[in-house]
Amino acid sequence: MSDRLSEVAAAFGHLLHLSGLPVTPERSIRFATAIELVEPDDLKQLYWIGRVTFLTSHDQVQMYDRVFAQVFKGIIDIADFRGDSANPPPPSSTPAGDREQGDPNRSGEAPSNPHGTSATPGNKESEDSEEDTSVLAAMSSDERLTEREFSLLSESELTLIRRLIERLPVVPPLRRARRLRRDRKGSEWDVRATLRQSYRTGGDPVRLAHRSRSTKPRRVILIADVSGSMEPYARVYLHLMRGAVVALKAEAFVFATRLTRLTRALALSNADVAYRKVSATAQDWSGGTRIGFAMKEFIDGYGRRGLARGAVIVIVSDGWEIEDPALLGESMARLSRLAHHIIWVNPRKAADAYEPLVGGMAAALPYIDTFLSGHSVRALEDVLAAITAAQDRPDRSNRMAA
Amino acid sequence: MSVADALPNPEALVTALAAQDYLADPGLATALFCAVRLPQPLLLEGEAGVGKTQAAKALASMLNTPLIRLQCFEGIDASEALYEWNYPRQLLGIRLAEAQGADISEASLFSREYLIERPLLQALEHGGPNPAVLLIDEIDRADEEFEAFLFEMLAEATVTVPELGTLVAKVPPVVILTSNRTRDLHDALKRRCLYHWIDYPDLEHATRIVQLRVPAASAELAAQVAGAVQRLRSLDVQKPPGVAEAIDWVHAASLLGIKALDAQAVEETLGSVLKYREDQDEARTAGLSWVAGV
Ligand SMILES: Nc1ncnc2c1ncn2[C@@H]1O[C@H](COP(=O)(O)OP(=O)(O)OP(=O)(O)O)[C@@H](O)[C@H]1O
Ligand SMILES: [Mg+2]
Repeated sequence: MSDRLSEVAAAFGHLLHLSGLPVTPERSIRFATAIELVEPDDLKQLYWIGRVTFLTSHDQVQMYDRVFAQVFKGIIDIADFRGDSANPPPPSSTPAGDREQGDPNRSGEAPSNPHGTSATPGNKESEDSEEDTSVLAAMSSDERLTEREFSLLSESELTLIRRLIERLPVVPPLRRARRLRRDRKGSEWDVRATLRQSYRTGGDPVRLAHRSRSTKPRRVILIADVSGSMEPYARVYLHLMRGAVVALKAEAFVFATRLTRLTRALALSNADVAYRKVSATAQDWSGGTRIGFAMKEFIDGYGRRGLARGAVIVIVSDGWEIEDPALLGESMARLSRLAHHIIWVNPRKAADAYEPLVGGMAAALPYIDTFLSGHSVRALEDVLAAITAAQDRPDRSNRMAA
Repeated sequence: MSVADALPNPEALVTALAAQDYLADPGLATALFCAVRLPQPLLLEGEAGVGKTQAAKALASMLNTPLIRLQCFEGIDASEALYEWNYPRQLLGIRLAEAQGADISEASLFSREYLIERPLLQALEHGGPNPAVLLIDEIDRADEEFEAFLFEMLAEATVTVPELGTLVAKVPPVVILTSNRTRDLHDALKRRCLYHWIDYPDLEHATRIVQLRVPAASAELAAQVAGAVQRLRSLDVQKPPGVAEAIDWVHAASLLGIKALDAQAVEETLGSVLKYREDQDEARTAGLSWVAGV
């Protein structure tokens, strides 16, 4: 089995696993072996190979369809190649951009569909796939590890999930996605070539497939607070950021008292070198926090010039502002006018008694579209889902269109 | 010709099955293909009459090998599934030996000669060259203990008979299990299997199946019945009609010389598609013209 093929299999299997299907490494191998045997030359065949090898019961079909549609989104309507049309097509076989109605209530809670994820493994050292499988196995056998609060992870546990987190699939929503024409003939494309291509570039099939459709994925910008109170989380989020930068060309920033752009340092092909470069680049790790000022720096230095326009912005911070929160409120207001969607990840939100009533968090809250905790691997899945599902706020759509 | 040569891809399997009068859609073809070529046991599920059993039969005749069928039922055990010692024959052997004043050793009493091979053992003993198709039908009817036993056999493709030792499959069979989902199967068993859910066929596919099965019927009648069966399934009936019922219906209609479906024709033949009185009433309430699609 080729390395790439096993990676595709592992990545797709991993996504299904994240969605709650009982996928084992053994099944991923079966999937890859079946692909080699069948040599699928259209998406329909790939769909069936995956369905036959990954599922164990009928009630998993809907979830499988969703994940499949997410990975190969908009290329084909899955309802086209199932049997009897008595079953309505799953909701997310609709392209993401089609979901026009925003739900204003969704801030502050996990999105109802935590499955919007897709395959974008990070760097491509070939020995990774084996390690990946064992990490997957370890993760699934150790449920507690997926639930554990990041700040409680030991060094060795962190090492274990490091690679996994770096490879978590960050899938941006598409801009100007419209309902795609159903076209059976049009679905005939070379799956293997596309997958191969996409893995060579470290990208995902979604991007590649949509190039011909004049829809583009939205830019994803990750901004993480690395001040003292956020340190245990920052060390985890850094891996997510690197994965997104490498696979997605996402933008990455960190701040404590000042803002630092990490995109270039993180994009280095060798992970260890990248992280060393990162610590050299961002000098003020673990200082005090000036969120409002850092946001202002971001908008003035990057956001206004187009980086933030139409982007999905993910801010990871506990909201502890040492300065006047008013500046943060002001910056957030500006940012929300530029961005397509703002997700704020605050690990402290996971605590039962937590309420964002005072200080920076209260000031920022009105401008946030989705508010999540992201404090464990499991909670991280919600963050990924929120990125993929990110939609415009209804009251903002006119302004955005202008 | 090896199995791999005969079945290079799922499309080839579709063609080969069609020659056995079985029309597989791409999903089922992929599932059967993987079952044969990986190889791996395949669990087939689907509503009654969608063609689960027939799929295994067609696969066997296509491979030109025996179909070995194990019909499961409540309380089935190893002696019915695997092997049994032929006690009457053993007794006879002892008597015979006594009559001849000879001694019969225990070893010779428990030899091949006195072994009755049940389906699982038959499947393992099949000499090839192509693998036999072992159909384990309605596994959900057997109890969990039997399932665990079966799982072991599937995992190892070997069987241990204490008196004879371990028997290893010469050519491991293609294993197809079907379930009607009256209960959940064991995780261990499911983990081992490929899985395919056979959906009701869509209109076009159903029409083709019916035409193939009842060549005497007109194309028009076949299409009408396929549509009518789909409509009947949308009603609140106890036993929604499947492919089998569509075939029965066309059969009955063409026997009566019916060329096209209308309310009258439906009334005359309704019993062939809906077996329960209550279901037939349900159809009448919905309107027989509606059922006929006119
Ligand atoms: N795809 C098909 N091509 C040809 N014939 C078919 C097909 N599907 C079903 N049939 C026919 O429909 C009838 C019912 O099929 P079968 O007995 O295999 O169904 P089943 O799923 O095993 O049903 P049950 O759950 O009641 O055992 C058979 O006569 C079979 O030949
Ligand atoms: Mg049957």
